[in-house]
Amino acid sequence: MTIPAGDPVRVSAPLAGEVVDLTDVPDAVFSAQMLGAGLAIEPGHGVAEVVAPVAGTLAKLHPHAFVVVTDDGAGVLVHLGIDTVGLEGEGFTVHATEGDEVTAGEPVVTFDPDLVRSRDLSAVCPVVLMEAEPDSATDRASGSVRAGQPLFSWTAG
Amino acid sequence: MADDTRAAEILAGLGGAGNVVEVEGCITRLRTEVTDPSKVDQAALRKLSHGVVVSGTAVQVVVGPEADMIADDIEDLL
Repeated sequence: MTIPAGDPVRVSAPLAGEVVDLTDVPDAVFSAQMLGAGLAIEPGHGVAEVVAPVAGTLAKLHPHAFVVVTDDGAGVLVHLGIDTVGLEGEGFTVHATEGDEVTAGEPVVTFDPDLVRSRDLSAVCPVVLMEAEPDSATDRASGSVRAGQPLFSWTAG
Repeated sequence: MADDTRAAEILAGLGGAGNVVEVEGCITRLRTEVTDPSKVDQAALRKLSHGVVVSGTAVQVVVGPEADMIADDIEDLL
């Protein structure tokens, strides 16, 4: 990742819900911030619309997770629920195509967190700036957020 | 592009082709199933990745966004 120093990456909430620390996500890879720093969001009930957290290219798109890479090369991973790859897309509807240019706030996926929970999986959604050092996210939101509201920032050292 | 060397090194860290039952790329991590977890060289895998999570015979290697390509490369080596 080669982000210009002093130019913060601003990541907005990809969906509505309650902000959760990554350390409380029931998955060692996210809770140890192996993939990067960020926050997670626990969605409420009912179908959740998930939007792009930054503007950029939809570099990876699976029903249960996607990555948007900004023009500066910052990759933001949004993972919808934990171990949801095993659902093979059930409960998820994709509204974009891998490789698309997206603006922040543009719909990418809708999914049903209650279906995820009904399979004894966590519906919590980690939002991670890939390769950012653990605990390096700043301006961290707390409490309830709506999709599109500021979630966290990150500035190159 | 994932390079074949990295796939081969990760495969060696997993105990070699004979020890790997299954490998699947999932966005940023390789989810693998091995026959004998004691043959997995976690220290070597950590040097090749962002982290390793071992749970019984399930070994996850966090390789970053090239996971799908590395998984394909490893499958070619099995």
